[in-house]
Amino acid sequence: MLNFIVRRLLQIPVVLFVLSLIIMGLMQLLSPEQRAAAFVTSDKQIENLDLIIEKYHLREGFFVQYKLWAGEVIRGNLGFSRISKEPVLTTIQKRFPASMELALAAFVPIVLVGVWLGTQAATHRDGLLDQVLRVVAIVGWSLPTFVVAIWLVAWVYGGLGWFGIGRLPGSLLIELAGSDFRKYTGLFTVDGLLNGRLDIALEALKRLVLPAAALVIVVSAGIMRVMRSSMLDELGKDYVRTARAKGLAEKTVVYKHARRNALIPVITMAGPMLGRMIGGIVVIELIFNFPGLGEWAAGAALQLDVTTLLAFVMLIGLIMAVANLLVDVAYVVVDPRIRYE
Amino acid sequence: MNPQEMKPQREAWYRSKTFKRFRRNPLAIVGSVLLLGFVAVAFFAPAITAPQLAELRTARPCLRDLGIKKDEALSALRNPLNPVFWKATLAPPPTCYEIPRDGYSPLPKPPSEKHPLGVSGGSYDILYGLAWGTRTAFYVGFLVVGISLAIGIVIGGLSGFIGGTVDNLIMRITDVMLSFPGLVFVMIVSVIFGSGLTTVMLALALIRWAGYARFFRGDILRTKAQEFVDAARAIGASPLRVFLKHVFPNAIGTLLILASMDVGSIVLTAAGFSFLGLGAPVGYADWGQMISFARGYILGTAQGTPFDFWYVWIYPSVMLVLFGLAWNLLGDAVRDALDPKS
Repeated sequence: MLNFIVRRLLQIPVVLFVLSLIIMGLMQLLSPEQRAAAFVTSDKQIENLDLIIEKYHLREGFFVQYKLWAGEVIRGNLGFSRISKEPVLTTIQKRFPASMELALAAFVPIVLVGVWLGTQAATHRDGLLDQVLRVVAIVGWSLPTFVVAIWLVAWVYGGLGWFGIGRLPGSLLIELAGSDFRKYTGLFTVDGLLNGRLDIALEALKRLVLPAAALVIVVSAGIMRVMRSSMLDELGKDYVRTARAKGLAEKTVVYKHARRNALIPVITMAGPMLGRMIGGIVVIELIFNFPGLGEWAAGAALQLDVTTLLAFVMLIGLIMAVANLLVDVAYVVVDPRIRYE
Repeated sequence: MNPQEMKPQREAWYRSKTFKRFRRNPLAIVGSVLLLGFVAVAFFAPAITAPQLAELRTARPCLRDLGIKKDEALSALRNPLNPVFWKATLAPPPTCYEIPRDGYSPLPKPPSEKHPLGVSGGSYDILYGLAWGTRTAFYVGFLVVGISLAIGIVIGGLSGFIGGTVDNLIMRITDVMLSFPGLVFVMIVSVIFGSGLTTVMLALALIRWAGYARFFRGDILRTKAQEFVDAARAIGASPLRVFLKHVFPNAIGTLLILASMDVGSIVLTAAGFSFLGLGAPVGYADWGQMISFARGYILGTAQGTPFDFWYVWIYPSVMLVLFGLAWNLLGDAVRDALDPKS
């Protein structure tokens, strides 16, 4: 197992290398001036683009340029982000915890709701509950993320005045900047607890409810559909009949025997689901004024900030590669028969 | 007995068991009815919006390109005997997809007699945008499915036909394409090629072919394993002939049906990009772009009075969701009907 994990970890740089080749290749379609922005590290340098083009040989071929870019990246210079007006790496360090907090807050309910509703639909096959859940799943699958987010903001936040948008209310943020509030993880919910500031943890949690709910509505419908069909497959197999024949309680059969095996197709779907979730997070951060990586990247796409987007893409590539590794590890946890040696 | 009669008769599709299963599914009926409604709106969009075209001054370019005056607009666009009706319905000039505006006021106005569904910020007529936006939706959906399906069939076909290393390589590429978030890909493409509806459509087609290629390859491998393929090979047909005459036609049916059901989800995705500002430009008849007008009212200042301008975002978002729902209901029913286990 350890052997396998190490081997897969060594593959990650290869994946990133291929990804960067593709993107740098696409970037050759841009003008040298646009590409020069990738080497700028401060506002002042932007005024001297011609010098940068000279210095980094931006009018030369692909391989020369790729070598130069890769050299900078290895030295830790991912470039200067025009839209956040600071080096890309600094912004990523600042904004990553916000997105991470939102992703974690959404991920757990997405899996729980999807798996639980899928199991219920399968055990009540063709009954009223199954029919209702089926329509719910199709409707949930048909809702675009941004529409759900807008409806939630307008109705729950605007109309009822519940929860809130942003990460923390402005007054608290100002107070935190002046106080000795220590950022252990960057997640306000966890940091609030660690600093003994329960009010901050609660405020941060309150503001996570709506964005997370929007993600749950959109993403868990897909998990539920896969869970239902794989659960039906499992319930039709011989070992389930054996378990029933020897007189096990229906609960034990469904929850202990069948469900565990039915989880494998759900885990397989985790990759595409994560992709859907990342896409959803970008849109949701924008609508809920949530200062995370997605909001930053969306702004970069609108303002044609190539450097920022390039770094964002590499980061997403890294996240997807790590996630795929975790998926393979999760197989072993759920099904001990699977071995990678 | 006449030898003609001994030939096995091909079963008509509407009598097949698959179609029967589809017809008996109530969700399929709901989806079909919804979809027919959208087709009707798209088809009659010029007739529906004839009053707006006649009255609003910013609609003049469209009328000019159609070759009619504003007094004739109402009678010409609602009379099927008039050639202009057919020109506007079947091949409208691009200027007709610009939503006409009634002034330049940034404040939306509620429904009135002149504007049955109100006007959004910038005084764009909402009814006009919804009706012509239905056309944009079908256009975007069919074009993206068409392009990605063409790429998918060629690459998946090659993968299944050649096999071996080529097959392995193509499948690894599709793995990468499938796991990479589509949204991020579209963002890169729009930074490099400039944003716009065409770029979004191109980027979506470039990311979606991978799923079709995989599916088609699977069906080809399944068909290849059947006896009639062995039989064709045994009587000496060349590999290319076996593939083109026996494998390909038998493998492609399911893919075509399932892919055509993706139109809905593609339109939802494209609308999301228009909402973000990467897709259709401001004022273009596109539902996602119309919803983006609401961002200013809902975010920030909305607390307390979020429903003051409800007509700006509720109409287009309901259209969008119903459109997606219609295709998904249909798609779900089709998948069920094709599945022999059900």
